[in-house]
Amino acid sequence: MKPHDVNEYGQMKANETEQQFLKLAKSVQNDDRIPVGFAARVMARIREQHALETSSADERFLRFARNLSGNEHVPYAFEKRIMARLRELLTPDPLTVWSRMLWRAVAPCLGVMLLAVLFSAGEPADTSTGQAAGELETADFETVMLASFDDLEYTW
Amino acid sequence: MQATETAPETDVRTDEELIGIVVGGEVDCFEELIIRYQPRVFGMARKYFRNESDVEDVVQAIFTKTHQKLGSYKGTAPFEHWFMRLSVNTCYDALRRKRNRPEHTISDMLFEDESWQDRLGNIPSDDDHEGLEQARELVHTVLDQVSDRARIVLTLQELEGRSIREIAGITGWSESLVKVQAFRARKEMRAAVERFLIKEKRL
Repeated sequence: MKPHDVNEYGQMKANETEQQFLKLAKSVQNDDRIPVGFAARVMARIREQHALETSSADERFLRFARNLSGNEHVPYAFEKRIMARLRELLTPDPLTVWSRMLWRAVAPCLGVMLLAVLFSAGEPADTSTGQAAGELETADFETVMLASFDDLEYTW
Repeated sequence: MQATETAPETDVRTDEELIGIVVGGEVDCFEELIIRYQPRVFGMARKYFRNESDVEDVVQAIFTKTHQKLGSYKGTAPFEHWFMRLSVNTCYDALRRKRNRPEHTISDMLFEDESWQDRLGNIPSDDDHEGLEQARELVHTVLDQVSDRARIVLTLQELEGRSIREIAGITGWSESLVKVQAFRARKEMRAAVERFLIKEKRL
């Protein structure tokens, strides 16, 4: 046998072994078994990592915010603006004063009204002359209301 | 002849003296108090509000309220404490009124060139105005995600480094309530930071 043939033979043999190995490897079933509590273990690790990341970010943020120099710049003549506003507030507005007075008058007015109601309710009602008196009042009211129009008629 | 050295007479009036004069009817003296405290008040208001007009409005409200309530200042505690309490409470009220109007979202504060976590490592210098502005925006965006109470507590405790007792004095809450609020505030802030991280990972 020539050395060349020996080499070729060796090569063929190696290819055959490789093919056989691959065939064997393919035939082996996948081992899908999972260790007990594996998912929980991985999740615990992920959570731990996340918590570390977050708490460190949390600390870093606070350090960052703490070390930032504050901005104490005051706009030009700001105190004048506030003083003008204060003086404006201190100057009484007539409308405000008027409305305040009206509000203050509410309680006494209500008191007077209540007293008048109580007083009128306490008086005995005169039923015999009530209707006639009512009619008379209506007639008087009409005369007073139309008096100016009556005067107008005379001018024509 | 013996030379007598007289101490230079200072016409700087104390807060209490000024308050007495203002309460007595001299409104103009209140301007001195404004000038004295306005930088601090502006610095504080800018921690809660990013919009400059909101800051000015709240500072104006603080000084107006101070003037109105000056008569109720008893002088048992330093004016500064009384004033800070009023200022923080006014900011809290203004924050509550401004609620449900978020100006920036998390996505607005995510940067293309670097992760925001990396950015947290680079505190801009005082000369870097643009960087400082961006940094403040970032802080506002995170703090906008938490509740008003949490924001007040976080600002006072974590950013200004005040003690629980001091916060209780400023807010008028009990110390135990402040502790509970501080715990909740940290939790809320952690959740806000977490949202940033999740959002950034998604992009």
